Amino acid sequence: MSSRTVPGSGLWKGMWVLLYTMVRTIFKPKKYLATVNYPKVKETPVARARGVIALDQEACTVCMLCARNCPDWCIYIEGHKEEIPPDKPGGRIKVRNKLDRFDIDYALCMYCGICVEVCPFDALFWSPEYEYSEAQMGDMMHDMDKLQDWLATVPDQPELEK
Amino acid sequence: MTFADWIAEPVNWAFLAIALPTLFCGFRVVTARNVVHAALFLVATMGGVAALFLLLSAEFVAWALVLIYVGAVIILLLFGIMITRAPTGIDWTLSGEQQIIPGVLALALFALITWASLEAFGTSTLTVVGEGSSTELLGRMLVTRFVIPFEVVGFVLLGALIGGITIARRDLTPLEEEQRGAV
Amino acid sequence: MELLTDLMSNFWIALVLKLLVVALIIPLIGMVIGFAEMKLSAKMQARVGPYFAGGRWGWAQLIADGVKFFQKEDLIPRDADRPVFKVAPIVVMAGTVALFVVIPWGPGVIFRDLDIGIFYALAISSLTTVGVLMAGWASGNKYSLIGGLRAAGQLIAYELPLVFSAVAVVIMAGTMSMQGIVEAQVSAGYPFVLLQLVGFVVFMIAALAELSRIPFDLPIAESELVMGYLTEYSGFRFLFFFLAEFANMFSMSAIAVTLFLGGWHLPGIPADVLEFAGPLILIGKSFLLVFAMIWFRWTFPRVRQDQLQSLAWKWLIPISLANVILTGVFKVVL
Repeated sequence: MSSRTVPGSGLWKGMWVLLYTMVRTIFKPKKYLATVNYPKVKETPVARARGVIALDQEACTVCMLCARNCPDWCIYIEGHKEEIPPDKPGGRIKVRNKLDRFDIDYALCMYCGICVEVCPFDALFWSPEYEYSEAQMGDMMHDMDKLQDWLATVPDQPELEK
Repeated sequence: MTFADWIAEPVNWAFLAIALPTLFCGFRVVTARNVVHAALFLVATMGGVAALFLLLSAEFVAWALVLIYVGAVIILLLFGIMITRAPTGIDWTLSGEQQIIPGVLALALFALITWASLEAFGTSTLTVVGEGSSTELLGRMLVTRFVIPFEVVGFVLLGALIGGITIARRDLTPLEEEQRGAV
Repeated sequence: MELLTDLMSNFWIALVLKLLVVALIIPLIGMVIGFAEMKLSAKMQARVGPYFAGGRWGWAQLIADGVKFFQKEDLIPRDADRPVFKVAPIVVMAGTVALFVVIPWGPGVIFRDLDIGIFYALAISSLTTVGVLMAGWASGNKYSLIGGLRAAGQLIAYELPLVFSAVAVVIMAGTMSMQGIVEAQVSAGYPFVLLQLVGFVVFMIAALAELSRIPFDLPIAESELVMGYLTEYSGFRFLFFFLAEFANMFSMSAIAVTLFLGGWHLPGIPADVLEFAGPLILIGKSFLLVFAMIWFRWTFPRVRQDQLQSLAWKWLIPISLANVILTGVFKVVL
């Protein structure tokens, strides 16, 4: 803005930058490459990367908030009430929600993360894992056991930025 | 010369092989039911005429035809057709109702040109005079023997150009000029 | 060598051989340039580029792409004008192939040394435009039609500076034959670019526009027109356009090299070596220009339609006309 430049000098500057980058990338690829050779070399995802959603079955209360807030309706939840006998005779029967089915259809999911946000009991987590492509579209439906398995790949929560 | 003699010459086969499709394309230009098809048949016709000129070893005229007609005039034509209305498929509004009078006129023109050229040249063959390539000869002729017609054509084209600009040009009203100045 | 001379003396055998060479050279050059474009643009953006096909450097990427195009379904839209839609790629390819006729590869190595070589080249290259217009209209798609119209408007505008800057060279060389132009530069002892720098720059800008390369790629303009006149094409027909584009890049560069950079001649190389090295020198020089085109592609943003037209009509045409007049005056005076 403030410094005056010769009109048209930007054209030459841009061309020079490209030539410079090209020569540098050809001769010292290790140092200057911005990308990696993916299947051979794996990229380390950043903290909070949105790869896949993991489920902690124990924490889930079948409240359905995630399924109802999902913009794509890609979460399928079924559950039933389970009665727990009273601790001592004459006591009240306890009732607990038991999760029967928790599927996420990753062919539909748009990775908005609303389900993770709305979950009141911290049952859903973002995992940076991204290698779960399938040959068949139907296989993109992950059931609750598979989602539970992703939980192992969830990293510790990173520090909040100041 | 009988037809059998005429057809025995390989050059005449080539002539027929080019002329008949060209005639067909020319016919389709006026009968095609789609205006873009008509224009494309005109391209093919021009190509055929250029090929006929090549057969007469008039290279320069042939490629000038391609450069100017195929490369510029018909492209402008197609451009104009496509930018205004260009439905694909058959366009029934191209009725071809007026077939008789134009047909008669076209045949009359054809007869006139045939008669004139037969009258003027008959069966005599023209030989190329001078040395060098036909293009070089043409160039020399244009700036020596035909220099006045050449210049006159140049002036006519210049006049047409200036006329075209004058017609297309619209002087800005003071208000518009003010607006343009503001921008 | 003698066998070759014997064979070439027979018109029909020579014709078939020449056709075979062209039929081989166009896909080959198309693939080399296509690969260079992929790889070099990757490097310019600090990326790797094609890597796996063929083992090392991804050299077989374009072959793999070619096989892929063969496998694809041949789609013709319902509203398309079928005959025109089918003929359009052939017309484009015909214009491309015809351009290779007059490229002088070396001393005496040319498919046909026409008297009016450069005139022929400029005339026949307009055939491509007709093909593009046909493709745009026949697709029955609004994006395609707009792309075709843009191509036409652009090519009409840039044909003139292209022709005028070639005319200046023709005035200097005193001939329109492609071999004659190269020989004129050999006997003059310098490539014409030294005196025709303005003409060369105008020619290259106009050639970029004729080829619809970025920054003049408005007919294709992925971000606005999907793929312009190529939108509805798939499979083998798309491959035709694709190859024609890259082969045209090469032939335009080769014409520019012939007109301005001394063609197959390189000072300091004896004549008997030139017999064999000529084609290599021509290809080398042309690839330098092709590299420049790839380089521009990733440097400059696309121009706007009004900028495109005003650049042609208000700058390039007057400049190249003045160049023609100046060259003529100098030719007469000196």
